[in-house]
Amino acid sequence: MSLIRNINPWFIASLFISLIVAIPLITVFGSFFNSTSEYYQLLRETYLMTYVSNSLLILIGVMSLTFCLGVFAAYFVSFYDFPGVNFFKWALVLSFAVPAYIYAYSLTAFFENYGSLHGLLSFLFGEQNYNPYIPKFDGLAGAILSMSFSLFGYVYVLTRASFYHQSHNLIEVSKNLGYSARESFLKIILPSARPAIVAGLALVAMECLADFGTVSFFGISTLTTGIYNSWISFDDLNTANQLSFILLIFIFVLFFVENHSRGDAKYHQPSRGFRQIPRIELTKNKGRLVSLFLSILFFLSFLFPFLQMSYWTIKFPKYFEQIDILALNLNTLILVILASIALIGFSFLINFGNRISKSKLLDQLSLFSISGYAMPGIILAIAFMTFISWTSEALETFGIFGIKSVFIGSVLGLIFAYFIRFYSLAFNGIKSSYLKINQSIDESSYLLGYTKFRTFRKIHIPQLKDSIVLIGILIAIEIIKELPMTLILRPFNFDTFATKAHAYASQDLLQGAALPSLFLILWGGLLIFLTSKHILSEK
Amino acid sequence: MKFIVASLLFLSSMLGNVFAEEVNVFTSRHYESDNELYKKFTEQTGIKVNVISGEDGALQKRIKEEGKDSKADLYITADAGKLGAFEAEGLFQTGASSNLIKSVVPEQLRTEYWVSIAKRARVIFYDPARTTPDPNLSYEDLSHPEFKGKIVIRQSNSVYNQSLVASLIENDGLEKTKIWVKEFVKNFARPAKGNDRSQILAVAAGEADYAIANTYYIALMLSGKKGSEQKVAARKVKILFPNQKGRGTHMNISGAGILKHASNKDNAIKLLEFLVTPEAQKHIVNNTFEYPIIDGVEPSPLISQFGLDFKQDLETNVSTFAKRQAEALRIMTEAGWN
Repeated sequence: MSLIRNINPWFIASLFISLIVAIPLITVFGSFFNSTSEYYQLLRETYLMTYVSNSLLILIGVMSLTFCLGVFAAYFVSFYDFPGVNFFKWALVLSFAVPAYIYAYSLTAFFENYGSLHGLLSFLFGEQNYNPYIPKFDGLAGAILSMSFSLFGYVYVLTRASFYHQSHNLIEVSKNLGYSARESFLKIILPSARPAIVAGLALVAMECLADFGTVSFFGISTLTTGIYNSWISFDDLNTANQLSFILLIFIFVLFFVENHSRGDAKYHQPSRGFRQIPRIELTKNKGRLVSLFLSILFFLSFLFPFLQMSYWTIKFPKYFEQIDILALNLNTLILVILASIALIGFSFLINFGNRISKSKLLDQLSLFSISGYAMPGIILAIAFMTFISWTSEALETFGIFGIKSVFIGSVLGLIFAYFIRFYSLAFNGIKSSYLKINQSIDESSYLLGYTKFRTFRKIHIPQLKDSIVLIGILIAIEIIKELPMTLILRPFNFDTFATKAHAYASQDLLQGAALPSLFLILWGGLLIFLTSKHILSEK
Repeated sequence: MKFIVASLLFLSSMLGNVFAEEVNVFTSRHYESDNELYKKFTEQTGIKVNVISGEDGALQKRIKEEGKDSKADLYITADAGKLGAFEAEGLFQTGASSNLIKSVVPEQLRTEYWVSIAKRARVIFYDPARTTPDPNLSYEDLSHPEFKGKIVIRQSNSVYNQSLVASLIENDGLEKTKIWVKEFVKNFARPAKGNDRSQILAVAAGEADYAIANTYYIALMLSGKKGSEQKVAARKVKILFPNQKGRGTHMNISGAGILKHASNKDNAIKLLEFLVTPEAQKHIVNNTFEYPIIDGVEPSPLISQFGLDFKQDLETNVSTFAKRQAEALRIMTEAGWN
């Protein structure tokens, strides 16, 4: 009965969007029932363990590093005063502008035999073979470092927000208990931020599992590249399915943990207004030490790749002629604008529907929205193509025209895929802002004779304006950095910063990849700079 | 009224696009110089070349899923095994080897389904200051215990290695190659990692005595496109062309085939024919530093300095790579070649 009562236009719209976002998940599960050859059985047995163990090693490595970097950085900037604290607070967020694959390019360029470091040493201390003394960050170590520095921001931002909103009470409590700084950190501050830290780590873990650009650059086989290879190169659906299954288990666990921790984190938000504690001033030496630590972190996470790419861009100016940088800017802009409009528009529609129909079922349906974000972009793109192909052929058997050329190899198709991938970002962003508008405001508005639409237009929109801008910018940053989906689904003669950088990296000309990479970092950095106050949730 | 005129203009521009002479290329050769080559083709013929570049697997998947709606006419890639796989999947149509192409491209380097446009040699690099190898060294010799801990090569997931081992299976048989791979892996100086250039660098830096890599990487370094440090490093190493006493050095190819659902087949053939003209071949050898596919064009000086009269293995038909690659990969992973 309740189901039938639930069927209204809002429900149908919500169901429809949830289904669309769940397309890759449905397709991957659908493929489980396809037949396969046994030709690659041995290969599968040899590789399966490698895939799983590499993915686990990367997960463990990156999560440990991002935990240490993110939590310590957040702790220092939240509770202490030292030279440069206000700068580091937002500067550390800039690491979001550097995707892990560009970090990987920089790492290789700098540390390889006869790389930038060798050049620097030769310049400073004279020609000599320094190569044996230069550490090599390639393979697994390179991948773990690249991902850690480009992802620790998730842990940093969420942990800092949690500290920021509760710092006053926390320090007060630990003072009353007579704890030392170390004791209060371990016994009070850290446990209270646990949900935020866990949520941050879960996001880091999802990004790790989803990564394609970095691991394929270093030639490491992970679950994601394993699925990609067995699905595509070997046409071996059996292996692809087994691997997908393992990956899905990983993802569901992470998804559950993240969702759960987000929920917990909410209870720690202060209900009354809070005032931020004046930060404790560190002694001169300790302050310098902390500044040094954060300077190194800022240098490694942002300045290092930025400088390596700038250096090459200046040193090899011929790529300014070779690369049509205006077209890259325009293409990226078009994708960002269209995707943002679609994502924010539909997120609004569904959130508004959920709000006015107050349906629990709708709320649960929206949970599906996360599945696109949890699915690695490369798998999502393949699943998307497979799904479009199925649908198109089904339509054609009923005598309706096919839809392949509409969705594969078109800007529309790219937007569609971005929509699936980033819907949870937009939907949950708007949802959390919506929750801050009390339902009673709606009721008062109805009492004043406002229609639902007018309430939406005159009351909701103005209140949500800030978060719309923020979400738009977050979407923009993600799309600017996105590589695997754009690479597969794009139209003819269509490049973004990411695909251009990838093309040069693939022909072993990282020097050429520098210019598009630099633009990518600059745009991302600018957008982050503009919204750092929001991202740090001080607004 | 304005609206109608505007829509008509828009429509005609759309139709104009549909009817314009064009050819659509999917390529996993990411070279920017290829795009310059396509521009030359457009200037000469008026046929526009539309390009999507990407990873082989992904492009193949996309072509398959697009099926008969695929707009792709020509597929270009840099490994004979990949072309063979496309052929085996039934993604190509016949006709790539037009009469003109047959007259200039050797028979072993084309089938009815695809044509080679350039050759690539997989050779041994060494540092003459430290090593003086036997000039008659063969790939087969590299499994001998005297090379223990001295060789660097990239991972088994590289198609270049898969094609090399495939050619060994084709020539020496599966059982013999199986034993060879097992012994060969024991001679690695470090676990396989990095691209071909990083193997050459490892020899230059003294990390290993021998590197197996494709020739064009050293030319790339010598060209200065990778900076002066790399140029210095490249000058330290020399090339040894293996198997000179036997079948010759392993040659792989870059090649292209016409896709089954191509709607611009004639233009695709025109582009293929253009790619094997002396003009296009000169452009290729001087930008990607591969070996020319036709007679009468010299490789880039950066490559020819290492010797031109070496024996190339053109006996082993490159189309066998595709058939043997899976076996090759299997014995490589079995032997612990990561």
